[in-house]
Amino acid sequence: MIQKKICLLGAFSVGKTSLIKRFVESIFSEKYLTTIGVKINKKKLSIAEQDINLMIWDLEGEDDYTEINTNYLRGSAGYILVADGTRAKTLDSALSIHKMVQDLLGDIPAVLAINKADIEDQWLISPESIDNIDKNLTVIKTSAKSGDNVEALFTTLSQNMLGIK
Amino acid sequence: MSVTTLEKLYSELDFAVLSICKNDLITCLTEPPSWFKHFYPSLNKGGHLNQEELPGFLQHFMYDAEDHWQRKQSGQLKSGLWVEEAPDDTEWLMEATAVLVEDDRLLLLNLTDKDHGTHQKKQQLMRENLLTKEKLELEVHRRTQQIREREEEIAIRLISAAVQRDEETGAHIRRIGLYSAEMAKELGWPLPLVDDIKLAAPMHDIGKIGIPDKILQKPGRLTEDEFAIMKDHSRIGGEMLAGSGISLLNTASIIANYHHEKWDGSGYPDGLKGKEIPEAARIVAIVDVYDALVHERVYKKAFSETKTLAIMNEMAQNHLDPNLFAVFLSIIDRIREIKDQNQDEEI
Repeated sequence: MIQKKICLLGAFSVGKTSLIKRFVESIFSEKYLTTIGVKINKKKLSIAEQDINLMIWDLEGEDDYTEINTNYLRGSAGYILVADGTRAKTLDSALSIHKMVQDLLGDIPAVLAINKADIEDQWLISPESIDNIDKNLTVIKTSAKSGDNVEALFTTLSQNMLGIK
Repeated sequence: MSVTTLEKLYSELDFAVLSICKNDLITCLTEPPSWFKHFYPSLNKGGHLNQEELPGFLQHFMYDAEDHWQRKQSGQLKSGLWVEEAPDDTEWLMEATAVLVEDDRLLLLNLTDKDHGTHQKKQQLMRENLLTKEKLELEVHRRTQQIREREEEIAIRLISAAVQRDEETGAHIRRIGLYSAEMAKELGWPLPLVDDIKLAAPMHDIGKIGIPDKILQKPGRLTEDEFAIMKDHSRIGGEMLAGSGISLLNTASIIANYHHEKWDGSGYPDGLKGKEIPEAARIVAIVDVYDALVHERVYKKAFSETKTLAIMNEMAQNHLDPNLFAVFLSIIDRIREIKDQNQDEEI
């Protein structure tokens, strides 16, 4: 079985842990519980008849005082950037992290999740800002709460990592 | 220091000390702390582990640790914090430290917080505060926008009232604001002031509201007395807009009052000279002349831009601020764009 390490990256409180919990355990909690350091989760997937064991690294989100520990990124086969649609600044954070990771690891597969799609009417990330994102970066609107597109998010990244279009 | 004392020290510090042998077998050098037993219940002092038995995070850290040991680097290499779930579903916040002691490759494991609680609580509180701060900032921004929109609405209605009685078109009024904002931007004005001048500049002639129709709308040339009354529009406009405490209207008042002042001091109402004339008024004087010259008026045809700039160049010796005129020339492409995109639409 192929084993791949992926990281979830983004500002704090955008829903990285919630996306993982929804994907791995099919659960969701409204309560915000901040992640400290990093936690690794595992999930087996079958993509185009290929079994893949995802090691999902849930990294502590960035804030004004905490930067990503880049040692955590080594060996990653791909990563998911997460932004919160209701907090415009989190898209800037996600894109700046994207650039930092590209500088560090080169062009490895990445997908951008804009989370909280269940309250899209309250989003402050405008459609124009989303349109302006580099077309090489796949953008998926997700909701950890409703589960919308969460499976697709991880599947898309896995397909990219396996070179399946 | 005896080995026993060292062991007691590790025990007091709640450390598990592992030694990595040449064959990558891992030996536990100390009596494992109680928390370590959650992961390896049967491991005792002197017991062995394989690398594959280490938590996933630690296996990953071993690459960095190995590099640290190979280079025989002094000091310690810390792994960073990670949360590990034990087989009994308890969660532990840990950190590993790699050190090389007399060629022995050692890995020290410790809990950063026995119940993984205190550290998290602090972080949680800090981030909840950051979220609250973000929400408050957003609310302040939203309310400020609302106030700004109200100010703009009032300004637009005032301008509309003035245009009703004047020969100027709505498009001219709007262009004056856009040109002025472009100039202010080029001059490095702060963004809020750029926004102010964009709306304030169109009010430069608002004082004409106080000029009798027979003078304002007189088709022919004004008499000396009539012109004296006409000149009073700058003072009227300045007074109308003064004293509000609103930045936008203060700027509008200054522009209305002084936009007929001339660089050489021959203008009105106060005969101010050079930089005594507020910069906002000097900007509007330039863009107002430009727009009047390049467009058709009842008394003249539209001049070409070349002719317009030649005339303005002459005026820059006495009427217009020559330095600001140079800035105007440097952004003439953007000015032309505004002119072309804003033709004859009513506000």
